[in-house]
Amino acid sequence: MAQAAAGKKEALHLADIRKTYHTGSFDVPVLKGVNFDVMRGEFIGIMGSSGSGKSTLLNILGLLDKPSSGEYRLDGINVETLSDRELTTIRNIKIGFVFQAFNLFPHLTVQENIEVPMLYAGVAKHIRHKVAAEMAEKVKLAHRLDHRPNQLSGGECQRVAVARSLVNNPTFILADEPTGNLDEKTGVEIMKLFHDLHAAGTTLVMVTHNPQYEPEYDRVIYLRNGKKWRVIDNIQHKTEEFET
Amino acid sequence: MKLRDQLWLSFHNLMLHKIRSVLTSLGIIFGVGSVIAMLSISEGAKREALAQIESMGVDKIIIATRKPPPTGKDVSENSTNSNLETFGLTQADHDHILHMDNVKSIATARDSRKSILRGTTRLDLNLFGVTLDFLEESRSEITQGRWLSPLDGDRNVCVLGIDAKRALFSLAERDIVGKVISVGDDAFRIVGILENAKGTTIEGFGSPNTAIFISKAASESIYGRTSVTRVSGRTSIEVVDYDCFIVKVIDVSYIDFTSKRIAAYLSKMHNDVKDWEMVVPLDLLKQREQTQNIFTVVMSSIAGISLLVGGIGIMNIMLANVYERRKEIGTRRALGAQKSDIIRQFLFETIFLTSIGGFTGVVLGLCIAKIVTKYANWPVAFSLWFIVLALVISAVIGIIFGTYPAWKAAQQNPIDVLRAE
Repeated sequence: MAQAAAGKKEALHLADIRKTYHTGSFDVPVLKGVNFDVMRGEFIGIMGSSGSGKSTLLNILGLLDKPSSGEYRLDGINVETLSDRELTTIRNIKIGFVFQAFNLFPHLTVQENIEVPMLYAGVAKHIRHKVAAEMAEKVKLAHRLDHRPNQLSGGECQRVAVARSLVNNPTFILADEPTGNLDEKTGVEIMKLFHDLHAAGTTLVMVTHNPQYEPEYDRVIYLRNGKKWRVIDNIQHKTEEFET
Repeated sequence: MKLRDQLWLSFHNLMLHKIRSVLTSLGIIFGVGSVIAMLSISEGAKREALAQIESMGVDKIIIATRKPPPTGKDVSENSTNSNLETFGLTQADHDHILHMDNVKSIATARDSRKSILRGTTRLDLNLFGVTLDFLEESRSEITQGRWLSPLDGDRNVCVLGIDAKRALFSLAERDIVGKVISVGDDAFRIVGILENAKGTTIEGFGSPNTAIFISKAASESIYGRTSVTRVSGRTSIEVVDYDCFIVKVIDVSYIDFTSKRIAAYLSKMHNDVKDWEMVVPLDLLKQREQTQNIFTVVMSSIAGISLLVGGIGIMNIMLANVYERRKEIGTRRALGAQKSDIIRQFLFETIFLTSIGGFTGVVLGLCIAKIVTKYANWPVAFSLWFIVLALVISAVIGIIFGTYPAWKAAQQNPIDVLRAE
């Protein structure tokens, strides 16, 4: 897989990403130069303890926040100079978000929830319906299209969220603790769903603090103190450590 | 995001909280409702007043005889229990005014007999000796028979106003032309029925519908210039040439000038005794319009304040709504909603609220106006333009008071709101 990945196109490129928050007269550096690439089709885990900077990195990866310095290329596009409107458009079509708390709209049906990113991409209604049905099929929820989130289990809600993240055929799926709100069994099921997507060629970046799933990623990038300090390559069975 | 999807989304969101939406738009509902009701009522009153003024004809000047105060110069006391009073519009006045420039014609009326009895009941009718052009000048029509003719001379023929006919005859008696009525010692043959559908009321004359008309010649030959009334044993003899002039002017533009000239002439000739009164319908119309304009400004101000209060109420609730829905906003932004999508979503919600509130208010206002018409018997007029105006204003209020909450919603930082959950 690593060899295959090596020959693959770059999905994300992060070079010396730094982020400093200014709180009053203090500067709080949260990210202190993070470098890594993600190739298309890779399944990456980003881990770290609380305060390691992984949430900030997630926001930067998801184009919800901009780095103070450094280069972030998404699908070959340098996002540094883009406007909010352009970033939102890229977020809509190139990133699929999966949240820990699912973030489904309670008043919408499964079908309508899955359609939301397409709504903002201006996709026509009949295509939205068709794609939403396909995605529901993919996450094995075709029979639940007319249900509302409160009629679904936690695992099913997360499946809906995964289906929703896929509809615009994004460059990568960015999942933030997707199993954090689920029991162990359901968590395993959701991880299996991600593995299925990975096997089908989807690029996945998962931010988590749960070391249980460490062996399941192609690569695991550990953050500590705002820097990359360990990379575990499960394909090449190699671990690299860096100074922090 | 497509506009149609956006509109549907906003409407869908409102429908999720029906009660709250209704409560939110109550301010607008009552604001618009009261505005519509007040406008309908004031418009009704205005139209009625204007119709009444216009029914007199704006190209006319109406001059009526008024009984002067008892200390008047022309009053001469003959005995302790009888008065002979000479006052009012005279033949000389008539002739002079008729020869003035710009005066086309004068229709005259003389109240020949003030009390008419049916059995022992005094009827609220007057017998008028009128000139032949009175029919046209009073804007009345003959509905049965004919009007007085020059050939009638001083013969005892009369035309009844429609209400006079009703007072004198029972409903069953429909064909009364040719019948004879008695007024005091005199009998008159009915030749026609007159109706004034416009509701004209002439100063010094009243409504043509309640009058019995005889020709001027007949009036002069039967009753002369005097009329005798006896009240509480006291006899009063009044010598009056004319009770009413309807002066027709060549063109409306001369009304102002001519009325001033006539007034100056009458003041001089009557030695400043105010035994006459002049009514210029055009002036009344202008005054009424001026009053109406002031009323409209006051009404608009009240309406403006009530709608402002309603708008502020909506803004307040929309701001709370934005705070409550931060998670939704953050998720939408993360999923690809542009700031403009969020602005439109919230703005459309507010516009929907105010527009639906405005529409409901219009319906409520019309209902109130209907009820007022039914129970208070006030004239009420509906006009499409203020319904349209109410709806447009409601939508504009939605835009004005919805913009800030919508902008505030769009400014929510998705990171903060997603983290806050």
